[in-house]
Amino acid sequence: MVTRLSLLKELSALIADDVLVVSSIGNNSGFWGQLKDREANLFHVTMGMCTSTALGLALALPNRKVLALDADGNLTLNLGVLGTVANEAPKNLTIVLMDNRNYLGSNKKEPGMPTATAGKMNLEEVAKGCGIAGACTVEEVAGFRAEVHKALSTDGPHFIRARIEALDNDRPPRNKRVPDPRENKYQFAGYIQKTEGVEILGSGLGGG
Amino acid sequence: MKSEKAQLVVNGLKEAGIDFAAGVPDAQFIEVYKMVEKDPGIRYVGTANEAEAAGVGFGAWFGGKKPALLLATSGLLVATYHLARINLLHEVPMLVVIPYRGDIGDPRWLGLYKKTTEPGLNAMDIPYRIVSRSADIVRSIKECNESARAWLKPVAVLLNEEALW
Repeated sequence: MVTRLSLLKELSALIADDVLVVSSIGNNSGFWGQLKDREANLFHVTMGMCTSTALGLALALPNRKVLALDADGNLTLNLGVLGTVANEAPKNLTIVLMDNRNYLGSNKKEPGMPTATAGKMNLEEVAKGCGIAGACTVEEVAGFRAEVHKALSTDGPHFIRARIEALDNDRPPRNKRVPDPRENKYQFAGYIQKTEGVEILGSGLGGG
Repeated sequence: MKSEKAQLVVNGLKEAGIDFAAGVPDAQFIEVYKMVEKDPGIRYVGTANEAEAAGVGFGAWFGGKKPALLLATSGLLVATYHLARINLLHEVPMLVVIPYRGDIGDPRWLGLYKKTTEPGLNAMDIPYRIVSRSADIVRSIKECNESARAWLKPVAVLLNEEALW
């Protein structure tokens, strides 16, 4: 089995600069921020909200690739979103799920508590049952590379479940500061305004 | 709910420039959902729960949309965690439209929501306006959305018994 970091390194080499990445809280955001410092990242999306945020973004910008960097505990908090994704069927959405099968193990030397996927739940099958026919599971780097490449070059929605090590023992050094949610909002929204020509910020009249 | 009252809510959304909506249908507000879903100027996303709707609206805002959540008073409770994050950590605007079941004057057994709706919004620091007259629906929805976008935070409009039924 592979580590989260090894797959994120692979993703960082594969992904085009203009793909919008929505990452869940915890090590998905923390590691991605170290590996891929770019304006097209929305970090710190909380439990149960990562894929739904990416869905809203993908529907609002149908000609822009959007990638959700989600996790098992985060997704299972709001699992119904997979049904919504299947029914709305945004062609430009890819969900990459880091499935380490436990809560709070990512910052520890030992596993935290098991998620449902540590037991009988298989999120690839759940995604298929929701209507995302091409959902798949990968367990090593080469398979991950092939599935991400396919997802980013063909119509979605795509769901890639990556079974990763429970612990992040290869965490990268913290050389960069990941922006806080407000700073990140201005950075991400400003980047989309600039590249899509839409108005997001600046809708107030000012005043004083 | 009379269709002319539902139409006023939709007119308010249109006046406000709302072009994206998400939510879970509520029995007392179903006409509004049906009209919004059919409106070519509003992209409606029906979600499995109201917290999911908040996330979808949050993402749509980053895509340049002007989002509204259509929530029941019960659904506001479901959405609370995500709305609190959107308001207090990210500071992102969103119009929240709620048929205010349980307000004084509602003869049904929904008084629970009198105890949760306004205190819940206050706890999340989400400003709101209660609308009691149907003549105020359109203007209030427009003004609440203008404030949401200027202040970069969700703002709620509560439409009560007298205004809607």
